[in-house]
Amino acid sequence: MNFSTNIAPNMSRRTLLQRTGVGFGALALASMLAGETVASGEDANPLAPKLPLVPARAKRIIFLLMSGGPSQVDTFDPKPLLTRDDGKPLPFAKPRVQFNATKNLLRSPWKFRQHGESGLWASELFPHVARCVDDICMLHSCYGTNPAHGGAMMKLHTGSDSFIRPSIGSWVSYGLGTENSNLPAFVTICPTLAFGGVNNWSSAFLPAAHNGASLGDASVPSEKARVKFIQNSKLPREIQQLQLERLNKLNREHLKQTGAEASLEARINSFELAFRMQSEIPKVEDLSGESASTIKLYGMDQPETKNFGRMCLLARRFAEAGVRFIQVTHNDDKVQWDQHANLKRDHEKNAKEVDLPIAGLLTDLKQRGLLDDTLIWWGSEFGRTPTAETTDGRDHNPEGFTMWLAGGGTKGGFRYGSTDDYGYYAAENKVHIHDFHATLLHALGLNHEQLTYRYAGRDFRLTDVEGNVVHEIFA
Amino acid sequence: MNVVVLLMSVLLAADEPAAAVTPSAEQLRFFETSVRPLLAEQCLKCHGPKKQWGSLRLDSREAMLRGGDSGAAIVVGSPKKSLLIERLREADKDLRMPKGGQLTKPQIATLVRWVEMGAPFPPTQKTAQTLRDPDHWSFQPLVETPRPAVSNTAWPESDVDHFILARLDEAGLNPAPRADRRTLIRRVTFNLAGLPPTPAEIDAFLVDESPDAFAKVVDRLLASPHYGQRWGRHWLDVARYADSNGFDENICHGNAWRYRDYVVSAFNQDKPFDRFLTEQLAGDLLPFGSEDQRHEQLIATGFLSIGPKVLAETDEPKMRMDIIDEQLDTTGRAFLGLTLGCARCHDHKFDPISAEDYYGLAGIFKSTLTMRKYQKVAEWHEHLLPSSAATAIQKAFDEKVESSKKAIADFIVEADRQVRASRPAKPSPGGDSQPENLESQYSPEAKAKLKTLRDELAALQKEGPDLPAAMGVTEDKVVDIAVHLRGDPLTLGDVVPRRTPTVLKGARLPTMTDKESGRRQLAEWLVDSQNPLTARVIVNRIWGWHFGQGIVRSTDNLGLLGEAPSHPMLLDWLARRFIEDGWSMKSLHRRILLSSTWQQSATVSPLSLRSDPENRLFSRAPIRRLEAEAVRDSLLFVSGRLDETMGGSLLTLKNRAYFFDHTSIDKTTYDSPRRSLYLPVVRNNVYDVFQLLDFPDPAVSSGNRSTTVVASQALLMLNSDLVMESASELARRLLAEAGSDDERLARLYRLAFGRKPTERERTSDREFLAKLTPAGKQNEKQRRETWAALCHVTLAANEFIYVR
Repeated sequence: MNFSTNIAPNMSRRTLLQRTGVGFGALALASMLAGETVASGEDANPLAPKLPLVPARAKRIIFLLMSGGPSQVDTFDPKPLLTRDDGKPLPFAKPRVQFNATKNLLRSPWKFRQHGESGLWASELFPHVARCVDDICMLHSCYGTNPAHGGAMMKLHTGSDSFIRPSIGSWVSYGLGTENSNLPAFVTICPTLAFGGVNNWSSAFLPAAHNGASLGDASVPSEKARVKFIQNSKLPREIQQLQLERLNKLNREHLKQTGAEASLEARINSFELAFRMQSEIPKVEDLSGESASTIKLYGMDQPETKNFGRMCLLARRFAEAGVRFIQVTHNDDKVQWDQHANLKRDHEKNAKEVDLPIAGLLTDLKQRGLLDDTLIWWGSEFGRTPTAETTDGRDHNPEGFTMWLAGGGTKGGFRYGSTDDYGYYAAENKVHIHDFHATLLHALGLNHEQLTYRYAGRDFRLTDVEGNVVHEIFA
Repeated sequence: MNVVVLLMSVLLAADEPAAAVTPSAEQLRFFETSVRPLLAEQCLKCHGPKKQWGSLRLDSREAMLRGGDSGAAIVVGSPKKSLLIERLREADKDLRMPKGGQLTKPQIATLVRWVEMGAPFPPTQKTAQTLRDPDHWSFQPLVETPRPAVSNTAWPESDVDHFILARLDEAGLNPAPRADRRTLIRRVTFNLAGLPPTPAEIDAFLVDESPDAFAKVVDRLLASPHYGQRWGRHWLDVARYADSNGFDENICHGNAWRYRDYVVSAFNQDKPFDRFLTEQLAGDLLPFGSEDQRHEQLIATGFLSIGPKVLAETDEPKMRMDIIDEQLDTTGRAFLGLTLGCARCHDHKFDPISAEDYYGLAGIFKSTLTMRKYQKVAEWHEHLLPSSAATAIQKAFDEKVESSKKAIADFIVEADRQVRASRPAKPSPGGDSQPENLESQYSPEAKAKLKTLRDELAALQKEGPDLPAAMGVTEDKVVDIAVHLRGDPLTLGDVVPRRTPTVLKGARLPTMTDKESGRRQLAEWLVDSQNPLTARVIVNRIWGWHFGQGIVRSTDNLGLLGEAPSHPMLLDWLARRFIEDGWSMKSLHRRILLSSTWQQSATVSPLSLRSDPENRLFSRAPIRRLEAEAVRDSLLFVSGRLDETMGGSLLTLKNRAYFFDHTSIDKTTYDSPRRSLYLPVVRNNVYDVFQLLDFPDPAVSSGNRSTTVVASQALLMLNSDLVMESASELARRLLAEAGSDDERLARLYRLAFGRKPTERERTSDREFLAKLTPAGKQNEKQRRETWAALCHVTLAANEFIYVR
């Protein structure tokens, strides 16, 4: 039921503009209405930059999604008892609901070492990220409820695995607006169309302006990923310019016939905005001005890291250009990190693809002073079981897994929470997905209980009726 | 909401201790968003309705003031004197609350602030009573209302107009003048057919001077197959129709299209709505006179089956209840305008629907078979549709299997022969024994070949014949189910006999038996002429699709959270006439379309704009953007490309195949000249043209599309192949159909806007063409490109996709 965002005919301009979003930022429109807006104290443009509700530590988020579920006990959460008891049964009960049946404990095939001044642990899968641990804040006690990819992905992105709800990026867009009126506030690079698909970056019942703009999808290499319809392959810009002028005139004539009508005026403006976007987005995507050392830093000079490196570099450029929420998805033509079998071979391959680019992103942001107000979020829909599926694989495990944050006011070289001795269940200082979301919003200066949207008679939140901010992780 | 707050305040004042403050809306919001969750999570387990440690309860203001064994828990306005706060801050672990834990500083600060502001607390009991009001208007029987008197008796063309004009009279407003004929035929053609009128249709109407000229146009359109394609699509929004499951396992609903075609045909036949409803809920249980009728009724039950399901849900009892919940919620929204799903975990917060009501209905669906398998990946049930065609398919399949088996047998005979031939003859001891198995002695090539043949047979048998089938439901074991406390399938309360909700006045409660699920009885109860909601809901939906807003604007919610009707008398009057007319939707269309109200122009007077800014009084016609399908269909239609074939499937995937697996490769093609209605509706990845133009989320029932204006829509109009190709084809058409530039311009405007160009427009267009024309003589290709550029502008214009 969408009556709240429906355009009632001949509704006042201001009412209408509150209800519709003229695109990715609407400078022209906002200024057109400036008088009214100031007088009423209401925001005409849904994407106008807004002041956060509580003091913000971060201005934007870059989310590095490791699709499929990397194993916590093989990456950042070492478990000596798991090594010791390899092959023995798990000494406590497995969850009532599991995705697949698993057998006995399976030790990690990789060695762990402490790194940096902080001494945080990382396995040999992530030698480059390990260099950056002093900037990283590990949350070892994350947990969710859904053991299937689809449900868990939707939970991770929207806070709900049973209803269609706005994505976290859309909530951020709704809460903060964009810093660049020619760009969307929420961009997602090469997202997977499986497991919730578009729902994972859609605004659901929030105004459509808060939809994530996707660059390609997981089936195309990042080099070919573009926003849909952003370019015209046939018409040169000069002709489009002429068309736009003719269109504008035609529409103005029509408007004289119909009389003032907000939706018609809004549509006239939307074409001008679209035209500006058409030149703005390719500028962000144009990497020709990046130095050779930057290209190298992100691993774009090596075949394994080229694809993900480019995504990470694009993420930095969108961050610089004023986008609030940038998601990068590591997903190949299989479910990248979903190692029910071939754990050794494929986790190694996967880690290799992202390790250097992620370290490059952290390093680059830091040297540009952007890490202070950019929050990096590394994570996935769930972790994996410490028990074995087949002889060289692990099943899905939403009961306890590791995600990490960096920058945006979080404590570097800090670890929060823990799993049990074998890494199956979150044990100490548990962080549910809702808590995690509440904490991310808090970092942006948004109170997750106050960031609400009224729909179908109820005030909805990203965190439903749950969520506690993990205050301890902020410096 | 203000009314509610006010009511609560009054109740509070009468009820609460003298020190009580009247909570402001702001304070209540603070309580609900910050304090209540904290109390619920941290305190109420031991100090709530179930347990009262230390005789203390913290679930009402009175109880906190009364306190427990240690005294009052709070002193209003003084956190420092409040024991509650003291215990939260206590350093001694044994005394500190909550037991074994500690609140964070911000959490404690929240409670301190709350005590400081006077501990505002909504009076739960009484408020709930007011909110869950059984006397709410929509639960009362339909009222018979006389036609009201009006000031201007010349204006009304139908009884509808009396109700509208009476309200305008009260508001001191005049209706807008009647729309001109060009506007009317464009509006009504889009309205009933979803396409623009052709120049010939416009001309015919303009010259028809008979008094019933417009009625004839309406009848022509209602009789056209386009009507069912247009209005059936409205119903498909409500039925959350899709060709894929969506959610986690996005697999192909290979047979859902039969339900879509059923809906289109039901509208075209003017199937009475009560019958239409009954077939969708219980078509499999109805008597039938022919095989065709039987098929039709089975297909209709697809309504209950096509919802999104979490097919990889590992918790089977939960999956079952999730599917039932989806069916129940969709049925409630679609036919009753109620959000029944809210009562799954607790009594409905706003409507008088109890958890018992919910589980009474849920029992009906639990006794209904929707899935043939619940283990992940779960599989939905399908009805086989036996027919001579199906028999032929089965026969062909059986023959294929037989010939495959025979090929294997023949191969073995031959291979055996070769093995025997290649070895020295051995005398068989003692005559004929068991035939020897020689496979192990086959050559590697022969082994491989045999494996291939066997694999082929196995694959063939696994796939089975592709028999005509329809998604739909059938009967299961009849059971009554228990209330699931907090919606949890593992925490059960009392068993509730299957039944319908009791709050609706009028309709007799059906009698359930242990022989049937109760779907038939549920349908009978819904279409009982005394049921207060069913007719109101559909009449209001149809009004909304005609005017852009319902008499109740929240067309999917007529409960307490829905909006109030702008014209309650009219709604009841229409609902009663609808039932009297045998639930005929076409009759209702005529009643509405032939009214002066619907035929007003969109011209708005300053007075109307001021006193009726949202057009709640229907003081003018709305200006509306075309829906996604109508935009695309019109582009194809004016460029002469629309293929008007009806029905069938455009899916390229097999039934139950994945639309999207982990590869993210989009296997769907939308490159078809068929009407948009027939393009695949893929959940999680709706066709981008539709998605951008506000196609509703096909995972949820929705009777009211939103209309947004965003820049990405403009990008679609500027750069998409759909628009570019339409422009190019339209240019080709113009160049073929008209001789001079002026004739072409005239043709372009008639096709696209249904009118002639003005002199100014002609001048601008000529200038535009001139700028694009290179010096010297233009070749054919250049001419077409130049005209295509102009057509592109025309198709992107507001006038093309907005209807007055």
